[in-house]
Amino acid sequence: MGILRKIKQKAKRITQLRKGIKYKEQSVVKKSPVEMKKEILSTDELAIEKAKFSYPEVGRLPRPMPQDLPYQYDRDRIVLQVRDPWWIHAYWEVSNATLERLRNELKDEFYNRAKRVLRVYDVSRIVFNGQNAHRFFDIQINEYTNNWYIDTGGAGRSWCVDLGFLLADGRFITIVRSNTVYTPLEGPSWITDEEWMIPEDMFARLYGMGFGLGRSSPVGKAWQERVKKALFSGALASPGMASMASPVKKIPKEKKFWLAVDCELIVYGATEPDAKVTVQDRPINLRQDGTFTLRFALPNGKQIIPVKAVSSDNIQERTITPIVTRETK
Amino acid sequence: MHKGYLCLILHGHLPYVRHPEHEDFLEEDWLYEAITETYIPLILIFEKLVEEKIDFRLTITLSPTLVSMLCDHLLQERYLRHINKLIELAHREIERNSWQPHFQSLAIMYLNQFCKARETFEKYNRNLTLAFKKFQDLGKIEIITSTATHGYLPLMEICRESVRAQVKVAVSHYQSIFGKKPKGIWLPECGYQPGQDEILKEAGLKYFFADSHGVLHGTPRPKYGVFAPVYCKGTGVACFGRDLESSKQVWSSIEGYPGDYNYREFYRDIGFDLEYDYIRPYIHPDGVRINTGIKYHRITGTTDHKEPYIPEWAREKAAEHAGNFMFNRQKQIECLCDFMHKKPIIVSPYDAELFGHWWYEGVMWLDFLIRKIVFDQDEIRLITASQYLEENPRNQVITPSLSSWGWKGYSEMWLQGANDWIYRHLHTASERMAELVKIFPNTDGLLKRALNQALRELLLAQSSDWAFIMGTGTHTSYAVRRTKEHLLRFTRLYEDIKSNSIDQDWLAEIEYKDNIFPEIDYRVHQ
Repeated sequence: MGILRKIKQKAKRITQLRKGIKYKEQSVVKKSPVEMKKEILSTDELAIEKAKFSYPEVGRLPRPMPQDLPYQYDRDRIVLQVRDPWWIHAYWEVSNATLERLRNELKDEFYNRAKRVLRVYDVSRIVFNGQNAHRFFDIQINEYTNNWYIDTGGAGRSWCVDLGFLLADGRFITIVRSNTVYTPLEGPSWITDEEWMIPEDMFARLYGMGFGLGRSSPVGKAWQERVKKALFSGALASPGMASMASPVKKIPKEKKFWLAVDCELIVYGATEPDAKVTVQDRPINLRQDGTFTLRFALPNGKQIIPVKAVSSDNIQERTITPIVTRETK
Repeated sequence: MHKGYLCLILHGHLPYVRHPEHEDFLEEDWLYEAITETYIPLILIFEKLVEEKIDFRLTITLSPTLVSMLCDHLLQERYLRHINKLIELAHREIERNSWQPHFQSLAIMYLNQFCKARETFEKYNRNLTLAFKKFQDLGKIEIITSTATHGYLPLMEICRESVRAQVKVAVSHYQSIFGKKPKGIWLPECGYQPGQDEILKEAGLKYFFADSHGVLHGTPRPKYGVFAPVYCKGTGVACFGRDLESSKQVWSSIEGYPGDYNYREFYRDIGFDLEYDYIRPYIHPDGVRINTGIKYHRITGTTDHKEPYIPEWAREKAAEHAGNFMFNRQKQIECLCDFMHKKPIIVSPYDAELFGHWWYEGVMWLDFLIRKIVFDQDEIRLITASQYLEENPRNQVITPSLSSWGWKGYSEMWLQGANDWIYRHLHTASERMAELVKIFPNTDGLLKRALNQALRELLLAQSSDWAFIMGTGTHTSYAVRRTKEHLLRFTRLYEDIKSNSIDQDWLAEIEYKDNIFPEIDYRVHQ
């Protein structure tokens, strides 16, 4: 009973972890990989899983290997990564020492009125000094969260994020500041000036004429239209790693109840080990003890199966002919 | 006189899966399947083309992890074991289908294919990279590399040292195998992060490929779209953008060639169709049904009902589709020539495993295509990226956009609920590796071994394949386990190195298990 409760607790913690919610602020959660996966695996995978985890004994290790990655590394850090032109992802952690310091400084506020907040700054085309962002917006988070997907609302801009406390009086205290990231454009650039180049080594090889870096005539309108059409004619499904995700997918359709049935025929027998045996005039091999087994896919229709054995001295012979008919209603 | 070019790229990659501690390991099958169904069939058509003195040009990526596995003795031996089993199965199938002559003829077809595979494997001394090297030395194919363990670079931007390590280890490894430096690189998943071309330039690479929007959304706007390469501003590394039209014709599961009803149906494998006791020796020892590669049915239609495969019909279709593909490229080039003041290049990259494995007739299609291009027309010519740059050195300068050829075109496939948790650990490990390099600029002996192994573990943890598998939601346990295992080994090495208490026995054990890149130098991670 106790074990069941433990498993349920661990399962709850796992789902919370997966949602990026911290279960307890400072605990380092250790659980075995097998337990973590139990909820998720089907029986098939579990069978494979078990086989994989049967490691041979390799000798005693002076220190046991930890079973899982640490929950955190006890440092102050927030990292931004770009997911696509509109969304960025942030993960963070705060060290125990820093939390302690903040707790002492803010005292009451820490527990009651200070809100944990991600402050997202638009720092496009500036050198950010903490005050000069074009604008910012806040996202309130709770103390158990350790990562977040942020909808920046627009493509092609630079972002920086502070993890901090927003106090009741409106003051904002930065705990830690992230790196700056740049989200890509969501369409063709508006800049159409051209710059051309030949690599140095190639230029050196060219005989006589110079190519210079001139400016060609502006791009034809028709070509721009053509390019735009190619862009927005729909995204392709990802090829990805072919061995795992087939581009030649099964077209998903409603799963109807199904049944598949087929028949096979096993023809087996025995004779002197040194006899020669033919089935339907084809010679077959005998086992050492003179027995044989043949297995055939059995289609609809009649199969006439003469089995002939001839003694090793070619003097005697026997034939038995099973006749098998299959039909399917 | 030809008006334009077609640059076909086959991207060959598999993650490093090698488990000496187990007799039989399910995921190792990915390699054996690819060898039998893709790499050897490709080698066979190249051999024939060379023999018939037909000039062709293709670009092939062989990722460092794939090359490492092809060169590995243990895996070579296991492949022979695998193909021998298949040959045995084919023999039994021929007998079992004695009263079904059509299926019997298909079984014979598979037997011939498997025997030819074994013969070819032995011919190249069990090391297929020698075959590819031969064709590269003959000037028919250009082999490019990918990052060391197929790490997805845009999500390593926070730790440039790791980007550098992934690129430089790949280049050194390529050099040791092929005897020269690679000219180009296939960025994993075409994942391009602006600025990282600096690192490509450092490593001596001249070009890479990006998805179409990587070029089309670049700044400033590319004058010729994806139909000419662009140089990255500041570094001059060339970037070739993928052509979507030619991609769709082959990739699309609905409109593309592979979905044709006459082609072989992937999901009717005898590993799943046949009676359990019969097929048991040929599936996973654990009793789990797996694909064998022997399939008897054609796609037939959109319903579950499948008719028997008819090779002649499929072959005719492949020829027809090759003709169609070529015709469409000709039309494309004709249109482009009206607008462009230089010869356009159509860049068509595909995963190598698409040909032969997923699309059984794919290799045949490729063979038909090459021959038709050489003999049936003279508007387009096959070319490699290097050759195009040599003939057309003057190109526009832009800054390409962050992009990938993955799902939705950016980084979401590797940065979503199922896999975003890995990055805080990967990034911390990267920082720690950089720290170790700073602390130990020069070492040897046991300490050097430990540092080298630490980098190996980090690189293996960074394979984008793990995050990808987690994102697909199937077979995720293996991917999760690999990520954690390598990170935990790294962490322990880090702690042991810093506390000067390296466990020799344990180090030897993981050196044996994670033995990729024997010549690695940890100092490349800075």
